[in-house]
Amino acid sequence: MRSSAYTLAAGYIALAIVALVLFAAPLWYAWQVTINDNRAEVLQQDSARLSAVFERSGVAAMGDFIRERVGLQIPEERILLLADPQLKPLAGNLPAWPADIPAASGTYTIKTNLNGKAAELVLVRTDLPGGYSLLVGRDVSRFQPLAHRFWYGLAVAVGVLSLAGVFGAILIRRAILSRIQTIRQTALAIVQGDLSRRLPAHRGGDELDTLSGTINRMLEQIEQLFRGVRNVSDSIAHDLRTPLAELRSRLEELSLTRPGPERTFEEIDAAVADVDHVMRIFNALLRLAEMDTGLRRSGFVETDVSTTLAEAVEFYLPAAELKEVRLVYRDHGALCIAGDPLLLAQAVGNLIDNALKYAGEQGTVIVESERAADGSALLSVSDSGPGIPDAEKPRAAERFYRGEASRVSPGVGLGLSLVQAVAKLHGGQLELLDNRPGLRAQMRIPALAVAATTPGVSSEAPARVAAAAML
Amino acid sequence: MKLLLVEDNERVSQFVLKGLAEAGHTADHADNGRDGLFLAASEPYDVIVMDRMLPGGIDGLGIIAALRKAGKQTPILILSALTDVDERIRGLKSGGDDYLTKPFAFGELLARVDALTRRSQGSTGITTLEVGDLRIDLLSRRATRAARTITLQPREFKLLEYLMRHADQVVTRTMLLENVWDYHFDPQTNVVDVHVSKLRQKIDTASERPLLRTVRNAGYMLTAQE
Repeated sequence: MRSSAYTLAAGYIALAIVALVLFAAPLWYAWQVTINDNRAEVLQQDSARLSAVFERSGVAAMGDFIRERVGLQIPEERILLLADPQLKPLAGNLPAWPADIPAASGTYTIKTNLNGKAAELVLVRTDLPGGYSLLVGRDVSRFQPLAHRFWYGLAVAVGVLSLAGVFGAILIRRAILSRIQTIRQTALAIVQGDLSRRLPAHRGGDELDTLSGTINRMLEQIEQLFRGVRNVSDSIAHDLRTPLAELRSRLEELSLTRPGPERTFEEIDAAVADVDHVMRIFNALLRLAEMDTGLRRSGFVETDVSTTLAEAVEFYLPAAELKEVRLVYRDHGALCIAGDPLLLAQAVGNLIDNALKYAGEQGTVIVESERAADGSALLSVSDSGPGIPDAEKPRAAERFYRGEASRVSPGVGLGLSLVQAVAKLHGGQLELLDNRPGLRAQMRIPALAVAATTPGVSSEAPARVAAAAML
Repeated sequence: MKLLLVEDNERVSQFVLKGLAEAGHTADHADNGRDGLFLAASEPYDVIVMDRMLPGGIDGLGIIAALRKAGKQTPILILSALTDVDERIRGLKSGGDDYLTKPFAFGELLARVDALTRRSQGSTGITTLEVGDLRIDLLSRRATRAARTITLQPREFKLLEYLMRHADQVVTRTMLLENVWDYHFDPQTNVVDVHVSKLRQKIDTASERPLLRTVRNAGYMLTAQE
């Protein structure tokens, strides 16, 4: 099986060996050339000195001199040999003139047997006057182990490197494989329909964790979209069935009873109204689903909610007058959020519509936008109606939930869930509070940072300014 | 008035063609994109009603883009099953003049078609509008009926201006919502009716001949005709 870990390890091992060789080659070169050259030079100087002794003092004195030197020195430290023209040894520490030395002067390396041991000799041959020959040399075989050790060391280094590389590759491969295996299993579980599964990802982890984190965020989005679709199909199944059944029975009854034209047209008009009602529910559901997916966020712009609220109040004002409800907008200055003005208008419209329904005659509905202590924007609609009992509050924003008090008034029961969906889409939430008496419905939405609202007032406390204005 | 309907659904086409004929319009029909583009490019129409999704290799938006590129300025009403606000914006950006979501009431379609023809006749440079003895001055924002001055809130003035620009035409509640308040959603209440009746109280007093009429199952019409 091909594995990227193996390929990578092989590459690194090869690279390491190349590096080792690059390190060893100059060393070897220095050893071979510099040291050997140096040695040959020393031998040549020695040889020149001895030649000078020969020229000054003659053969006999030279022989004595050599014997004295050999006697003084460490055995085999220096090889010296003086030979007569027939190459018979006269003095020195070699038993015989080595056979394989060429006839001319020069530096030679020969292999020979010295005192029963194999030896490698570096010899400088000098021809002396009168046909005499002088050999000055050195046994370099004692450096042999050093060279061996060098090569051995290099081999061991390469070996250790390769082994470590291979083992490392196996370990890394195993570690990566086990993590990929986990990811694979999670992915397979997700493929089989368990969308709640997530890849293991540690915060601030390595590249694989970063990738897992990204994939998890993608899964989050997919799950949300999926949930949106499922919610719509659930809602359609549950809540469009009733009005459709009514419509069907109305038409069927019409077909069976065949009443007079007057009544038939009345029924047809009623049927068209039924269809419109179904369409309204349908559109509201689609809009909710669209918001659940969060895709609408792409169209967010900087929106001054105080303008949105003022316009919504202006829009509902005649309806309020007709119901003899006091509808008031309290202006606390501009307050900007990143949002969709149309959706916000619709949400606030729903809240105002609700409030007008429940405020009762001579009641009051107050609409305001203010900056909360935590810096977020509060868009609130408060009424003086009966409010919602605490027990019902958590369920009030559920789809198609209609409070006991609202059974008699028209509506499809999607108003508050739309408001909640809009608030959520804007990163906030819908809060239902007690207005003592009445209901205070407020959307808490993160606001955009803004400079001081009032000139001369420190921008550090805009929340306090808003609070003061509220009082 | 001569119209072109480009719509592939046979039932919807029959319904619309019949309605248009009853309203006194003549209409050609194409049931695919290719024929639609051919007719739209070769015949002079007053308004084109265009479905977005069409068979025949080219969809509604494609046809509109092609027509606009060729310099044809015929007003176009887009029909679409896509309710999304973004889709609406896309439709209008591609060169459509109005956008109507399916399913629709025929009255709504007819009112919008009428509004589009009026728009194409051009109303630039006009500074006063008159319907009977009702008169508004767009520069001074003043409204009068005969010798009586009518005091109007800014939004009421905008509402009256829209009704007067479309005098003798049916204007639906949705059209008012979209054009006077710029609200492209269904507020699910009769608030528009309340606004209109408030306006009516101001322009039609008991002694005067009523100008602002309610058209059943459709909307409103401002007219001086009997």
